[in-house]
Amino acid sequence: MLLRINFKSGKPAYLQVVDQVKAAAASGALRPGEALPSIRPLAEELHLNRNTVAKAYSELESLGVIETLPGKGCFLKQNHSPLRREIRRKLLIEEIDQAIVMAHHLQVPGPEFVELIQERMGALENKRRSNEDEKED
Amino acid sequence: MDSPTPVIEIQNLAYAYGKAEAVHNLSLRVLPGRCHGLFGRNGAGKTTTMKCLLNLLRPQRGYVWVFGLDPAQAEVAVKRRLAYVPDQVAFYPWMTVRETLDYLASFRERWNQKKEKELFERFRLDPAKRTAALSKGQRTQLALIAAICPDTDMLVLDEPTSGLDPIVRREFIETVIGAYQDGNLGNRTILVSTHLITEFEGLIDEFTIMDQGASVLTLEADEARQRYQRIRARFAQTPPELDLQGALQVRREGRELELLVNGSGPELLERLRNHNPEALSTEALTLEEIFVAVVKS
Repeated sequence: MLLRINFKSGKPAYLQVVDQVKAAAASGALRPGEALPSIRPLAEELHLNRNTVAKAYSELESLGVIETLPGKGCFLKQNHSPLRREIRRKLLIEEIDQAIVMAHHLQVPGPEFVELIQERMGALENKRRSNEDEKED
Repeated sequence: MDSPTPVIEIQNLAYAYGKAEAVHNLSLRVLPGRCHGLFGRNGAGKTTTMKCLLNLLRPQRGYVWVFGLDPAQAEVAVKRRLAYVPDQVAFYPWMTVRETLDYLASFRERWNQKKEKELFERFRLDPAKRTAALSKGQRTQLALIAAICPDTDMLVLDEPTSGLDPIVRREFIETVIGAYQDGNLGNRTILVSTHLITEFEGLIDEFTIMDQGASVLTLEADEARQRYQRIRARFAQTPPELDLQGALQVRREGRELELLVNGSGPELLERLRNHNPEALSTEALTLEEIFVAVVKS
């Protein structure tokens, strides 16, 4: 998992770390039980304030994505969401609604939007599969 | 929650060299653990401000407190808790690197031997070399070791990387992040003035832009990048006459339109969307672009 910060995205740097770790977990680029880089070397490498990386990690921990084992470091957790199903759905719906609004403004009609979602899910699945294959090699 | 004592508190500071006013009516506050960037053109008053914090200059008007103390009254108490890397680093030329560090360490209560060793290895400095024979980059590295080893609560950096090669600059920033911020993070405050804003972008929590001796903008870095945006729109025909009030800057070129906005992005986006652009995109301005936009307008 290689992280990259883009200040032009307008998204706070800590949130970029959070989202990229989440994406890596979803695509299998980071597997359950695998270690995340420690805060200090990651901060040095990304030229990010240590507090920013620490904030991202504590956010990931409270979301149940990673766990910290004292003296050992941070690891990706199995089945990570501690939230109830309704809450998880609600959070997802907010994101989907936003994408739908955006699709409207970009003049992407409904059926094409649904198709796109399927296509993107397929792409993620492929990525996950290729990450799995690498594991077996 | 109790609000902690600010590490730096400046109120209505003024300082003039003869008739030339370098700083006037500057107010600034930095809380513990923050990294505060001080941006300004040459002569904007950044170095003068820092010298007032370090009691190298006495404020002519206004107040300066460091760790809640007046640096003129409590110079030793203030200085034992901070370290300073100036833009022009000077050492006694006859001393070796080793002698210089021993000499500087003798003024300090604490000296982190482990960090000293680590940084010597990182910078590959020769302890037996006389400081007169060091390159500009090596002198800065030596100054950085001397500033980091005492494990102080604040690090003051005045244009620390200007005139250095890119490798030394990168190592400098990595060292500040890795070695200086290694410790009680809540107590590692940094005040840095720099023209190389992009390099420090990820380190800076908040910043103040100074212009002609006064503060023109103080903002959190994340908030600044959310507020200051560049919007690009392309239309099928010549762009319609739009109400672009609220844009800091407008560029038109054929069917394209580019706006710089401060906080009014959503409204302007909405207005542009109503004219069905072929393409519409936004990106955040970097801190350097924000600096240029603020100082030029």
